[in-house]
Amino acid sequence: MKTYETTIIFDPGLEEARINEEVDRVSQSIGQAGGEVIEVQRWGKRKLAYNIRKRRDGTYIHIKHKSPPELIAEMDRRFRLNESVLRHLTVLAQKETPVAAEEPGKGAEAAVAPAEAASVGPKE
Amino acid sequence: MAREGESRSFRRKFCKLCFDKVDRIDYKDDRRLTRFITDRGKIVPRRISGTCARHQAQITEAVKRARILALLPFTSEQYR
Repeated sequence: MKTYETTIIFDPGLEEARINEEVDRVSQSIGQAGGEVIEVQRWGKRKLAYNIRKRRDGTYIHIKHKSPPELIAEMDRRFRLNESVLRHLTVLAQKETPVAAEEPGKGAEAAVAPAEAASVGPKE
Repeated sequence: MAREGESRSFRRKFCKLCFDKVDRIDYKDDRRLTRFITDRGKIVPRRISGTCARHQAQITEAVKRARILALLPFTSEQYR
């Protein structure tokens, strides 16, 4: 199973309860497909860079999850049919290397690296 | 001594992202990405920004994703 990041933009007119309902439905479908929800981020209401279906704002929900690849196609289909979803995007999550860099053992290496970057950087 | 004037104005461009040791550029980080788009919403070419190939490829991908999510514009308001 792969790790994905799904961002959904809901209609700004939707009440909080309705959005929670939608998010629960997505989480459930992930669970039923044998996946796992890692994290749900609520970015709240944000101004859109351009109008989508005549809406200026959107309520952003960002879900990080492990899912079987077949579910992504099904999720995409459901979002398309769902009138309250203005926009959605699912991408493969990037591997988290920054966490490894913070390990105490690697601290010495990290201290040397920035100095090299400073000398190499301007040449590139 | 025209050469002197030349050398004074000459300044080698360097990749700011390499300089900052940026490992990955995230499409959700729209604040960072706005530095790499013009006021019209176009992606700034490498010859202008001086970014390295690796980071430019990451910027391109990230900007395109951010546009889908309306975090960044496809084009600016006044030219639409």
